[in-house]
Amino acid sequence: MASSSSSSSTAGGGGGSGQVVAERRGIPGAQFVEDVQTYLTQLGLDVNSTLSFLQERLQQYKLVEMKLLAQQRDLQAKIPDIEKCLDVVATLQAKKGTGEALTADFEVSEGIYSRARIEETDSVCLWLGANVMLEYSLEEATDLLQKNLDNAKASLEVLVADLQFLRDQVTITQVTIARVYNWDVHQRRVRQVGAVPAQD
Amino acid sequence: MMLKCVPSKFFASELNVVIITIMKHLIFLVESNDVFFSRIKMRSGGSETEVTWEDQQNINKFGRLNNRFHELEDEIKIAKETNENFEDASNELILTDEEVVRFQIGEVFAHVPKDEVENRIEEMKEVTSQKLEKLEEEKESVLAQMSELKKILYGKFKDSINLEED
Repeated sequence: MASSSSSSSTAGGGGGSGQVVAERRGIPGAQFVEDVQTYLTQLGLDVNSTLSFLQERLQQYKLVEMKLLAQQRDLQAKIPDIEKCLDVVATLQAKKGTGEALTADFEVSEGIYSRARIEETDSVCLWLGANVMLEYSLEEATDLLQKNLDNAKASLEVLVADLQFLRDQVTITQVTIARVYNWDVHQRRVRQVGAVPAQD
Repeated sequence: MMLKCVPSKFFASELNVVIITIMKHLIFLVESNDVFFSRIKMRSGGSETEVTWEDQQNINKFGRLNNRFHELEDEIKIAKETNENFEDASNELILTDEEVVRFQIGEVFAHVPKDEVENRIEEMKEVTSQKLEKLEEEKESVLAQMSELKKILYGKFKDSINLEED
């Protein structure tokens, strides 16, 4: 009997009436069903319980998907921010050689701007979050920001792969629901056809 | 004169409903808040068509491609808008007679000489155009793969499956 292993890598297990992809980072894999009859006997449930079990699974997948989508939105907002910071540091670094100050207009409040003169400097302060700001040299700042950017992009990739895996499991579950329902209808028809000649 | 680029926004809309039609008379509705999911309708005729693991994988792949297709459409739209903004910006730049332009770097507007601004805009336009080209290419390939899969799946399931958009 095929059972799902709880390793966190995707592994294919065969045998029984289905194939199983083990859970991936906390998302349980959906069991693919070769034959509906064998699947139902293997679960030991009747059709309605199976359908409600599958529906429940679907809802759980939906919840996880919402969570992952929110995380993806956050990351996609963070990445342009980091790129903008890198831009600024690069501009400051470029200005360093020339000896002239950088004049800039910055926002004091909504719709109100003020002019600033930024002299040549060797260091910048970076906001690290949690009310913490640290001073870095221009090179260190560039390195730190670049590292953050790379981490963010890598997390985004992993997240996208997770979402794809999740959507696959959702598809498999939906198809299984359809097949179980179809099978049940088919069975009822067969039983009806069997019952009618007995009535003659 | 201020030059500013519009930031891109990411939004998701929840729409679809997967309908599973059983026989001609019964309709069983499964509510699914799936984002950008192609409607996959399955119907049972008199006999049951078996779904193999390979079929399942094809269906999964089709779903994934469809999602990617919608994402690509959004990204292409944003890239086109950004390109238009650059066009407008360089046109304004030609018309202006100021020597110093306030160019947005990060969150501030730095005073930059007009020539440098021109160069910067040219560079950014190049980058965006190349990105747009790549996105269009990917979209073509995704569409091609999707029609391949459609042929295979319709071949096996004929009427029992529907892979069209709304």
